[in-house]
Amino acid sequence: MDDLTIIGHWTAATLRSSTPLLMVTLGETLTQRVGIINLGVEGQMLAGACAGFAVAAVTGDALVGFAAGAAAGVLLSAVHAILCLACGANQIASGIAVWTLGLGLTSYFGRQFIGGKVTGLAPLGGPSVAGVPLLGPILAQLTPTAPAALVLVVAVGLWLYRTSTGLKWRIVGESFETARAIGLAPLLVQLQGILIGGLLSGFAGAILSVDYTQTWANDMTKGRGFVAVGLVIVARWNPFFVLPVVLIFGLSEAATLRLQAGGLALSPYLIACLPYVVCLLCVIMASMREGRIGGMPAELASVFGRRSR
Amino acid sequence: MNGRLVQRSLYAAGGAALFLALASAFLLAIGHSPFVTLATMAGYAFGDTYSISESLVKATPILLCALAVILPARLGLITVGGEGQLYLGALLGTAVVVNYPGAQMFALLPAMLVLGAAGGAIWSALAGVLRARFDVNETISTLLLNYIAVLLVNYAVYGAWKDPASLGWPATIQFPPAATVPSLMGTRVHCGFIVALIAAVVLHVAVTHTRWGLGLRVLSGNRKVGTMVGLRFARNTLIVMALGGALAGFAGICETSAIQGRLQSGLSVGYGLTGFLVAWLSGQNFLRAVPIAILIGGLISAGDALQLYSKIPSASATILQGMLFIAALAASGLSTRRETRRG
Repeated sequence: MDDLTIIGHWTAATLRSSTPLLMVTLGETLTQRVGIINLGVEGQMLAGACAGFAVAAVTGDALVGFAAGAAAGVLLSAVHAILCLACGANQIASGIAVWTLGLGLTSYFGRQFIGGKVTGLAPLGGPSVAGVPLLGPILAQLTPTAPAALVLVVAVGLWLYRTSTGLKWRIVGESFETARAIGLAPLLVQLQGILIGGLLSGFAGAILSVDYTQTWANDMTKGRGFVAVGLVIVARWNPFFVLPVVLIFGLSEAATLRLQAGGLALSPYLIACLPYVVCLLCVIMASMREGRIGGMPAELASVFGRRSR
Repeated sequence: MNGRLVQRSLYAAGGAALFLALASAFLLAIGHSPFVTLATMAGYAFGDTYSISESLVKATPILLCALAVILPARLGLITVGGEGQLYLGALLGTAVVVNYPGAQMFALLPAMLVLGAAGGAIWSALAGVLRARFDVNETISTLLLNYIAVLLVNYAVYGAWKDPASLGWPATIQFPPAATVPSLMGTRVHCGFIVALIAAVVLHVAVTHTRWGLGLRVLSGNRKVGTMVGLRFARNTLIVMALGGALAGFAGICETSAIQGRLQSGLSVGYGLTGFLVAWLSGQNFLRAVPIAILIGGLISAGDALQLYSKIPSASATILQGMLFIAALAASGLSTRRETRRG
């Protein structure tokens, strides 16, 4: 293999493993921008992965599976919305409750699908492009979900910073009271923020099970939802920064898979720690500079219990 | 004051009703009679001495993990790291046994337990250092550390520590009798349960009746005031995290030694997460955590029995835990909101 082909393979692998994480991290970014933290994304992603896989397996249509996954994510995030917004429950505890419920429901209803197989979306390029340097392996391995996620990053960023509804959302995240005073409906905005986070996390889960691994296993997200919550901090709550941050993580995950397949003399279980260590290191570096670079929506500060309090 | 108590009880009853409604809806949806199933579960949980002892077996790690959540919560920290601390405690404690399987009990057992507790303490204190030194959110760091700890145990049991005689099953050698935590009165309940009870009482007294406990309350209420009177947040963060982690690590090595008899993959069935649930149900109160941990231990043990006898998958116990958590959060959230509104 020449260098270009190797770079192409690594790029493709990185983008493939980044795609679900891009979706869920974007969703969690939007949720946190309106001042709500949702650790339940882990459970919502599981629900999306399970429902998406089940529906795709039954209908044979990956797109219908995506829709089902997104719907499952929205449903589970509605539980978080009810607990946080209607009952005033602690957001962190509520997220863990949603995760527990998602974990239980998916391992219960996912039993019959364990070890099953589905056909994901077709790759962007057919076998004919495989010989093209650099682009060949990328087009042959990537499915339309990857470019869709990249477009979504730009769309969400532009929407948040360049439209009036985006401005409204940011105001709610900075000051609930100010938003109320100027006649916005902050509670409604927060509800939308939670549900859109649910939609994207469920969609992300479905991409993971239907398009990426094309199988279902118990607890298959393996903490990707929690990683997403950490990466939101690293990306300073900015949708544009989500892309580079997730790509670093995706690269570490691609490296994990490639090193394991490459027969490195290190235990696969040690190599598998790499993505979590990378995520933790990124969060540490971002938190060290917290005071200087800022970016945290002010309404979140009370939830996080930061120094500012 | 009295009215407040009545109101709180009303909300608690409402939460219980909500849980029963959710649980019944789930059981109906999977085609089981809610009344019969819940009654059967109660029987499996506390129906006879054997059931009670099995419930206490499950309650032991849950209670220890709950204490590991409650202590940091007294400083305003929210940790979800019980699972990882439990795994690391099991890992370090097992290291002693694997390296000195022939040692005498008086040396082996204490060394194993101390290292087990130290393993949990180190894992938890790591998140504590990150919080105190770099302001890293402890909820996220503990969640990530959970996954790493599970992988480290897998690394050990699939790798160097794998018992060649176990025919491919990823597990260490069987623990010798000298490394087995003694059980109580011929049941499977082990001394770890007694330690957990003592720890709950000691910690309760420590946070309610000592100068240190007062310091924690001041720091969690208003950090600035705490610092002004000379209390140190960083130091106390390390103390509560390490002590809590030690309890969860102790739970891990006890579970490995007394219940499973060897370190193997899939050592815990979510005890860390269940401990988190118990801590919240108890309102972060050490003493209230004891009966709640026993109740939830019963729920999980009944879930296992249901799987065995009624062919209801034990994942249903996880679903019921999630529903219980949701009902409790809704009730306590509404109750607090009402109190703050009244002033």
